Amino acid sequence: MNAAQDLYAILGVPPGAPIDDIRSAYRSAARRLHPDVNSHPGAATQFRDIAAAYDVLSDPIARDKYDLKRKSPSSERAYFTLRVTPSKRVLPILAEPQVIYVLVELVPERPRTAEKGDSNLNLTLVIDHSTSMNGLRLERTRAAAFQIIDQLTERDILSVVAFSDRAEVLVPANYITDKSAIKANIAIMQASGATEIFQGLDEGFKENRKHAAKRYVNHIILLTDGRTYGDEQACLDLAARAAVAGVGISAMGLGDEWNDAFLDQLASRTGGTSEYVSSPGAVVRFLNDRVRALGRSLAERVMVSLAPDPDIKIESAFRLSPSAQPVSINADPIPIGQLQTGRIASMIFQLQVPPSQKPGFRNLLRIDVTGDIMREQMPGYKAIADISLELSTHPPAEEPPLAILDGLGKLTLYRMQEKAEEALARGDVHEATRRLETLATRLLSAGHDGLASAAIAEARRVASTNMLSDEGHKALKYGTRLLIAAPSDSPPIDPAVSGESA
Amino acid sequence: MEGVFFCEDCGEVLVGVASDNAMTTGPLRSVTADLISKSTWGTAHFGREATILIHFRDTPDPIVLAQMDEMVFGRLDPATNSNPDLDLTPFGAQEKGVSRSHAALRRGDDTLTLVDLGSVNGTHLNGQRLLPNQPRVVRDGDEIRLGKLVCHIYFK
Repeated sequence: MNAAQDLYAILGVPPGAPIDDIRSAYRSAARRLHPDVNSHPGAATQFRDIAAAYDVLSDPIARDKYDLKRKSPSSERAYFTLRVTPSKRVLPILAEPQVIYVLVELVPERPRTAEKGDSNLNLTLVIDHSTSMNGLRLERTRAAAFQIIDQLTERDILSVVAFSDRAEVLVPANYITDKSAIKANIAIMQASGATEIFQGLDEGFKENRKHAAKRYVNHIILLTDGRTYGDEQACLDLAARAAVAGVGISAMGLGDEWNDAFLDQLASRTGGTSEYVSSPGAVVRFLNDRVRALGRSLAERVMVSLAPDPDIKIESAFRLSPSAQPVSINADPIPIGQLQTGRIASMIFQLQVPPSQKPGFRNLLRIDVTGDIMREQMPGYKAIADISLELSTHPPAEEPPLAILDGLGKLTLYRMQEKAEEALARGDVHEATRRLETLATRLLSAGHDGLASAAIAEARRVASTNMLSDEGHKALKYGTRLLIAAPSDSPPIDPAVSGESA
Repeated sequence: MEGVFFCEDCGEVLVGVASDNAMTTGPLRSVTADLISKSTWGTAHFGREATILIHFRDTPDPIVLAQMDEMVFGRLDPATNSNPDLDLTPFGAQEKGVSRSHAALRRGDDTLTLVDLGSVNGTHLNGQRLLPNQPRVVRDGDEIRLGKLVCHIYFK
């Protein structure tokens, strides 16, 4: 049993709880989450933990042993906590199903003053050097790599793989001792060949794994400007293996030709991020920001498990911050990668509550977040939240919570963009045009003029050519996504117009 | 469907101020701006000097808490010498399952935290059940539930 996991917290009882309370806590958890009554994959995962905790705490000898071990001061400490905001705190009783949103914030606790310094990185850069990277793109990528090398220390590990239709290890994974020698190896990179992402990713993963360890932030950054053909599934399978090995993958698409849906999937399998770098000029900033963020790691390999009560349905999930990313709810737990020091990570879930509920309080879902705490070398630290709500025939009037309204408002813009794309994919040009026009109106009224004009331009283009431009598609998709991650009190950023000037 | 906040077709806000009307709502007028100017939940910041108001549901007026660093909520019980800082007996504590020493609010420099003191029926913050002895930050407008006793907290 892992020392970081507080068995009492898993059962939801205080440490001194009498055996009867422990038994009844286990029974009530079993009624909600036992595989016989709940087929959700998250329920199975979480119930395993609960049953294991109960095995120890219900056995007096095992419990005594556990209590002795537990009494170290460090295990009392919270590294991150969960804060949950439901869209309504009292639901009306209806004869039809209803929707409730739950905003889940992962709040990093303030570190003690003595704990300073960044986490050590085991970083692998996987760089596309196919023919299309020729010129400014490759030049800026090289410059970005040099800057990254400059910001790393001798406690960090770096490897660099260049790929086109075959891969070459430019810098084998090792501690950074001779920065100029490493730079010289990168400087020789020339543009040639086609793009086969799997070649690069596979070689990069091999390099990264040489040193992959829990005390490092193990991460692969893939930078590409092209589409890969025929090996997408192999890449996704590799990402799944990387997730298991505790290696994150972030993907950066440069220019307009790369396959965004694919890079999104690739990154989200490991909880990494995918980003759109609109111009070569922005490569240096994007890469450096990513590496800096990786170094500010409070927890790595953060996994969110959701166990809804048997009659509650999870309809969708979306990560809002620190970067906006669609989240797949088909698998549990959901990898969300890294929790940064001092930055709240938030997700929003849309749930469906069945009709004809009894008045009173009821449980909705149990959320379990696990992550490896970097500074303390403490794997498997857990925060657990159990969410319940009240149902009433006469719910009191309540204002919708601002945090949800704000997050959801921005998410809606992104979804409108998605729906326009879906309509176009179905061949419904009229519908796609209409949706883009509506999106433009919404963007304009929200003060995002640049994105609004991009939407209008694309609406016109779709009406006349039945297609979105690659550039417009990505500007709208990643532009509306960036809006989500931007805090609402800062001036609106307009990624559609930031392009070359950045 | 009831409960949906935004229409994903048109981007329209579908939620007004909650009403007792449980009918399914169609698109209402565009009210984002109104809502944001009116809505207060989560907007006020807590400062060292802030006044804390607690409004128990189904009571007419909120009560103002004394300026104490820690305030224990519970039920007065001379038999066991239980003497909480705020006695909830007048709010139906006994029948709503409030423990003698149920939960505490603690003032920090810029945060207010709520901690469950190992109560029998639990403390919930916005529906999230708190683990005993693990403080959680409280924001303006949050709902706190002690057993079945519901109240809202505001900063001034």
